[in-house]
Amino acid sequence: MPKDSNLEAEIKELVSGVTAIPIEKLKSDVDIFAELGVDSLKAIEIVAAFERRYRVVVPEKEIPNIRTVKQIADMAAKLIK
Amino acid sequence: MKFDLEKIKSILPQREPFLFVDEVIEAEGNSRVVAVKNITGKEDFFKGHFPGNPIMPGVLIVEAMAQASIILYYLCKPEIAQNHPNYYLGKTNAEFIAPVFPGDRLILEANRIKIIDNAGVVETTAKVGDKIVAKATLIFGIKPNAKK
Repeated sequence: MPKDSNLEAEIKELVSGVTAIPIEKLKSDVDIFAELGVDSLKAIEIVAAFERRYRVVVPEKEIPNIRTVKQIADMAAKLIK
Repeated sequence: MKFDLEKIKSILPQREPFLFVDEVIEAEGNSRVVAVKNITGKEDFFKGHFPGNPIMPGVLIVEAMAQASIILYYLCKPEIAQNHPNYYLGKTNAEFIAPVFPGDRLILEANRIKIIDNAGVVETTAKVGDKIVAKATLIFGIKPNAKK
């Protein structure tokens, strides 16, 4: 399995854990804000959980651009390098 | 860095009897704040919580920790905080470990997990002496004050 797929699976688990959205609804390209009702407070919880898990810092200016699991995984791949 | 009550009132929108920070005794950069609330026993809530058996309500300990968190937000985002935005608490994950009584000096520690312009995640503890009496992760939002 490609590395990114593993990463996406981890991100789905993390987002589901914070938002209580079932993993099966977290398709890679679904806009979790527009379509799954994630709000700004849930978003910062996701970012905080993400930073803690991967020991990285997400630049604040990047946060509004992250709207899907795939985008989070792409950012993770970039930051973890 | 230390803040006196006047400085605290320039940051926090709360006022007596709902102001739960008396002084800031430590402010490390923009990652940590240690504040103090002296519980005198004269606070109104002790009349009812509970008659003859005064104990500080846990929700007010959370409020005190939230107010310390606003001061931490101010250190991170002074340019936004100085315009007196509205702060709203979104979520708390709190644990209450020991009661707080009149005469206690409540020490409020707020440690930044993540703070951005419109939201924050802060880990807080409340201590009396060295003993942790409560701890909470607070998630809060910030919105511009429409009246300004």
